[in-house]
Amino acid sequence: MSILQSIKNAVRSRSIHVSYIDVGSCNGCDIEVLACLAPRYDIEQYGIYVHNNPREADVLLVIGSVTPQWEDKLRNIWEKIPAPKAAIAIGNCPISGCVYARKGSLTTPPVKNYIPIAAEVPGCPPRPTEILSAILSVAPLIFKDYEEKQS
Amino acid sequence: MKKTVDVSIPLGPMHPCWKEPVRLKCETAGERVLHTEVELGYMKKGIERIMRGRPWQEVMFLAERVCGICSVVHNMVFIEAMELISDIAVPPRAAYLRVVANELDRVASHILANFSYCYTIEHETLAMYLLNTRERVLDNLERLTGSRINTAYMIPGGVRFDLLPEDAATMLADLAKVEEELKRYVQIFESGPLIGLRSRGIGYMSREDAIRAHTVGPTARASGVEDCDLRLRHPTYRALGFEQVTRTEGDNFARVMLRFQEVFQSIDLIRKCVDTLPAGHIRGGGLCRAGEVSYSGEAPRGELTYTIKTDDFGRVLDIAIRTPSIMNIEACAHYMVVNATSIADVTSTFISSDPCIACNER
Amino acid sequence: MTGRCLYEKDLRPLKYNILTSTKHDATVRAIANRLGVSDAKLRRLLIQRLDMSLLENIETRWEMGLRYADDGDPLAKELGCELFSRFIPLLDQERMKEIYEETRALAQEIPFEGAIVRGKALIREAILS
Ligand code: SF4
Repeated sequence: MSILQSIKNAVRSRSIHVSYIDVGSCNGCDIEVLACLAPRYDIEQYGIYVHNNPREADVLLVIGSVTPQWEDKLRNIWEKIPAPKAAIAIGNCPISGCVYARKGSLTTPPVKNYIPIAAEVPGCPPRPTEILSAILSVAPLIFKDYEEKQS
Repeated sequence: MKKTVDVSIPLGPMHPCWKEPVRLKCETAGERVLHTEVELGYMKKGIERIMRGRPWQEVMFLAERVCGICSVVHNMVFIEAMELISDIAVPPRAAYLRVVANELDRVASHILANFSYCYTIEHETLAMYLLNTRERVLDNLERLTGSRINTAYMIPGGVRFDLLPEDAATMLADLAKVEEELKRYVQIFESGPLIGLRSRGIGYMSREDAIRAHTVGPTARASGVEDCDLRLRHPTYRALGFEQVTRTEGDNFARVMLRFQEVFQSIDLIRKCVDTLPAGHIRGGGLCRAGEVSYSGEAPRGELTYTIKTDDFGRVLDIAIRTPSIMNIEACAHYMVVNATSIADVTSTFISSDPCIACNER
Repeated sequence: MTGRCLYEKDLRPLKYNILTSTKHDATVRAIANRLGVSDAKLRRLLIQRLDMSLLENIETRWEMGLRYADDGDPLAKELGCELFSRFIPLLDQERMKEIYEETRALAQEIPFEGAIVRGKALIREAILS
């Protein structure tokens, strides 16, 4: 491993920029992600920063089953995120559609039909701690030695 | 109906200040907003369509998932509507416990709304304080119901879990702490000069407009509409001596302050409930029957109406949900935001009406 | 509209979805009845002219319009002047005013009911055009 790569690894593991996107949820998972910001969980002590801007994000948290408006936009937003990147599905909604995957529904889950998903956090809604640990365990796996794996 | 405009500024669907995706298109002349258009559809899950033809046991869980922030009240209104249809009586202890759960949820929701407002006007310190306080409230909700967000606490004829005496003591102690912390934050909010500049006199809505647009909940009460709190008509709240809070300013500041005042009031209500909790069962019995009813209850954001039609087996044949956000968002976009002097005020005004897109679109 | 555009999308199916809900459907039928146009036509007009949050709110707006619009002016109330220009903005206010003036002039000559019928026909025409 080159020196440059090891510096990159060290920096990346302490600076994970997160953007969340709600593609048709009940709001429950939304506010649990928001609760991670609270000083009690203190997401920033792990070097995770929440911006709601896909262009500067490394990790995309996807919440909700896909509604008609997002069918094309989800892919577009995913393409806007610079590599290396990872998407994490939060809650049952993006995994299976939760209660919305029934007859008469307007949604078209799962999210993995639209973008590649690196990790899933089941729960309706999952606890903030679970969301935190998912981000912390997935991000290093994806970002470690990224440049060397490419070449 | 097109007016000449300088620019049309879209806000959203992904916006740093907004918890949920929604898109506002503001047509502006200079910085002045002339006309706004709301584009929804990002959260349309068709929940009413899913509910149709399903037994109440399933619809109960679906009703909660209309909105995660105020899930307890959706549960409560649906269950009380079912009880009204099928003549099921609730034991007094369960009725009081329902009020406790509902008020805890309201406190959490109001604090979250004020957090969003502080975050939008970039007062991050206060926002984080509030978010931390909210965790304490959610802890108590979890202690009572077993879950933080989607609780499914109420069932026809009662509630699922009892409040144990030691839990009640912890809850009261916690709430006293919450009250103490909030007093400090309210003082920060009231006296902050920059907060005042960003909030006072901005996003004004007169009482007449509020009535004509049929705004509900804190948005209407901050504009001085009397007698618009449905808790005044709820038997348990009446027994507890509930009174409505009203403010007359009608601007962003009033809306946020009104929510703070309601939080204190809710804490008082919970205290009263726990102190005078009647003894007895928490679950009665009953059978869900056929019927048709339209029932309203007071959600944190205002009047919530369920119109339900059921058949003999308790299946829901037809359902229509009217959530408070429908009225509030519409009034906000077409009355409050228009004539805002700058685009920066559009986001804060929009957030001050506590919009919940998931409710709005269902 | 080009397909690659990120944000502008054809909203008509989504708007139609909003109007299929029980209460909304009943309201649309009531409005169509009042105006004397067919449901399908009115639905098309609503989808063209109103934004999505107004469509979600159409039921409340209609109720509030029936209760508060044009209080104290029987002619305007019969025509639904504010009702169709402010509460359900299908017409702009200038055009509505013109129709109102025209009908009031008519009411001086022919009986009140006849004038109302003519006025309503004018409104229908203006809305459908
Ligand atoms: S997983 Fe459950 S809590 Fe999360 S968005 Fe879906 S329905 Fe809501």
